Amino acid sequence: MWSYEKRLEFPVNIKEPNAKLAQVIISQFGGPDGELSASMRYLSQRYSMPYREVAGLLTDIGTEELAHMEMVSAIVHQLTRNLSMEEIEKSGFATYYVDHTVGVWPTAAAGIPFNACEFQVKGDPITDLTEDLAAEQKARATYENILRLIKEPDVCEPIKFLRAREIVHFQRFGEAMRITQDKLNSRNFYAFNPAFDRCESCDC
Amino acid sequence: MREKEQLLRDIGMADFVLIELALFLDTHPHDRRAMEYFNHYNRIKGQMEKEFSQKYFPLNLRLTDCGKEWRWGEAPLPWEGECV
Amino acid sequence: MHELLKDNNIDKFPIAMAYVPWQEFNGMYDDLEKAYCAGTIFPELDKPFTGRRCVS
Repeated sequence: MWSYEKRLEFPVNIKEPNAKLAQVIISQFGGPDGELSASMRYLSQRYSMPYREVAGLLTDIGTEELAHMEMVSAIVHQLTRNLSMEEIEKSGFATYYVDHTVGVWPTAAAGIPFNACEFQVKGDPITDLTEDLAAEQKARATYENILRLIKEPDVCEPIKFLRAREIVHFQRFGEAMRITQDKLNSRNFYAFNPAFDRCESCDC
Repeated sequence: MREKEQLLRDIGMADFVLIELALFLDTHPHDRRAMEYFNHYNRIKGQMEKEFSQKYFPLNLRLTDCGKEWRWGEAPLPWEGECV
Repeated sequence: MHELLKDNNIDKFPIAMAYVPWQEFNGMYDDLEKAYCAGTIFPELDKPFTGRRCVS
């Protein structure tokens, strides 16, 4: 279960609305490498993770990703509140506005809706952790693509914070990989799936 | 920065240290120095949270036990930005 | 535990596998405001994006 804290992990205080930026940043909410994908990926992978310490890490990082999802949503919300009809028309925001007004809905920047196919739960620890390492790098690269598009410091600061977290998570998943490898036979890491195969199959 | 905003930022900072140390301890459960830092910041954060909830509004449901009135709903929402 | 870690020469690790070096606790930023803005308390994980090439 979870409990809620009525504050953001890192403050978001944006002064000027900017619908163009909101349309790009929304990808880190509902896009392929966004925070919704990230949290669902890690929280869903936990059940087939046979090592308690690694499942604990998936829980803690998955929980932090929920806080990141809230930060990205807050950025999009603050960039789209008090928009005039004129700004909506001229910024190209009308295609989003027609379906969602200025509500925050999980979608990629190009309009592809959030989809569970953006992440995987393979039920194999090495495979899932390798996906997690890649996911952190993809999110980092996305934040860097966003950073090239923004000049406003009040938008930059929280985006820079979120990008830095991807690097820290990558390091932790790398350590989780090492913990997992230590529990397997280093002569053949692929001899069996520790989340599925039973002991009797280990000796062949 | 006003006192309320500064206190909220300090809570955020202390909690951020705790998030970082928790992830580190997840993969390094026997690191005593990291554990000491964790305990230190956990204490500080607890005190600040309590002070904040008494002065302004409760930040979580555990901190709503200070009176007869339900104050949880009065609190500003975190995505509203600088209007706390 | 950490049988693989005893040898820190990564070239001697079994091939066909991904490895990330193990982080040791070397303390954290004293300036918490700096750590908060950097998005990490660990100086060795603080790797900001410059957006320009050829920056050391």
